[in-house]
Amino acid sequence: MTARRLAVPLLTAGGRLLADRGAVIGDLGFYLIVTVVLSALWRAAAGPGGEIVGYSAGALTWYAATSEAAICAISIRLIAEVGDDISSGDVVTEMLRPLPVIAVRLSVQAGRSLVRLSILVVAGAGLCWITVGPPPSGTGALLALPSLVLAVAANLVLQHTVAAVAFWLRDTRAPWFVYQKLVFVLGGMLLPLQVLPDALQPVALALPFMTMAYAPARLASGSVEPWLLLVQLAWLVVLVPVVVATFRLGENRVQVVGG
Amino acid sequence: MRGLLAVLRTALADALARRGAFWAQIVMMVLNDLVLIAFWLIFFSRVDTVRGWDGQRVLVLFAVLATGAGLVLGLLSNCRRIPEAIVRGRLDETLTLPVRPLPHLLVSRVDTINLGDVVVGVSLFALVAHPTPSRVALFVIGTLLGAVVFASFLIIAGSLAFFVNRDEPAGLALHAVLLFSSYPVDIFTGPAKLLLYTVVPAAFVAAVPARLVEQPSAAGAGLILAVAAGFAVAAWAVFTLGLRRYSSGSVWTRAA
Repeated sequence: MTARRLAVPLLTAGGRLLADRGAVIGDLGFYLIVTVVLSALWRAAAGPGGEIVGYSAGALTWYAATSEAAICAISIRLIAEVGDDISSGDVVTEMLRPLPVIAVRLSVQAGRSLVRLSILVVAGAGLCWITVGPPPSGTGALLALPSLVLAVAANLVLQHTVAAVAFWLRDTRAPWFVYQKLVFVLGGMLLPLQVLPDALQPVALALPFMTMAYAPARLASGSVEPWLLLVQLAWLVVLVPVVVATFRLGENRVQVVGG
Repeated sequence: MRGLLAVLRTALADALARRGAFWAQIVMMVLNDLVLIAFWLIFFSRVDTVRGWDGQRVLVLFAVLATGAGLVLGLLSNCRRIPEAIVRGRLDETLTLPVRPLPHLLVSRVDTINLGDVVVGVSLFALVAHPTPSRVALFVIGTLLGAVVFASFLIIAGSLAFFVNRDEPAGLALHAVLLFSSYPVDIFTGPAKLLLYTVVPAAFVAAVPARLVEQPSAAGAGLILAVAAGFAVAAWAVFTLGLRRYSSGSVWTRAA
């Protein structure tokens, strides 16, 4: 029953995003620019016929397009936006609904992100196909699709957890900046984790950020490693109760303060 | 000119009024830039050169971009808000003043967070670029001319809102020029590279000034000077032409 009720904000948010053509074109344009730049850098670095830490130029292009799709599917300012809603007190009206605030918020963002992700995946795949040909492994590319959905889910959950610090600190700009950079480097958005210094690789692989860009990008770049999907699922099992508990604690605090 | 300086001084004073927030924002941007520098250091630990660009040259490019973009987005921060001002009818307050609208608009807001970029850019140049008097002079001149190109491009892209009444194209243009400027221009080939020397002049924002520091030449300096002058004139012309189409008080029109 709750799942059916949560489907309403999910579908409504997705439909609204699709209707806003200007926003869709803006998101798509930004994604294409980032992907073109990053993939050009890696292709130039690998050179024709060459490779970097086991990735060919083609594989690096598919890696860049996939990692960027996973990240660009979510509003870049999400943490700041959620934080603003909390610190301004707007979240109080959401607490009057018969559904948990965090559940509705995650449904809305999932609706938007999945629509965006679908568009970016089609555009990214087209771009890669034109530039370097088909994905290095068909199986890897197929596994990358559910992995992308899990990546977006894990990212949404952790971003809401980070944004929830606004219940205590009011300002989320600093946590937002730090979080972004962790995803960029330790999450494998800017570079495959194998490029990191040897000592840093196991650290990055042990953190949840790797589920958000590296996992789907690694699969799309031709490495058939289904265990990455299991790692993503395991992190979701850990992260979801944390965000639920954090919001519950935070909402109690808002009531105490007098909301 | 004195009036403009007074407005800029006021905008700076306003930005500095909250000291805690000012320093927090500077520190945040410095940390942000340090991560990007770390990215390049990691990248060049695996790769020797990329089409003639080694780690040191790329860090000089980053220093030029951080300083130039920081100055523009920090001191002339309304550069990026021109389309918003047009679409929401916020140019009215500038048009009622006895000043030239564009310069006044540009200097009337300071974004402290971007001044952190300037701190990083200058420090990075001092640390990695083996500064000598001539190299410092070339860095200053190249960075300022790159900043003129960057600001002019943002004004042109922002002024498109006069004609299309939307602000998304300008936002995309800002991201495009910043992203393309952040990487060595030679990683692009063919039409994409041509684009970066013409329509989206990202090459002249950082790569060409950085090359000027490394390989000084009169031709290189003349080229970037001519491009900066050309873009500045174009920015003035597009804004002035667009201003004739501006509907004053459009906020009330939209509300109705």
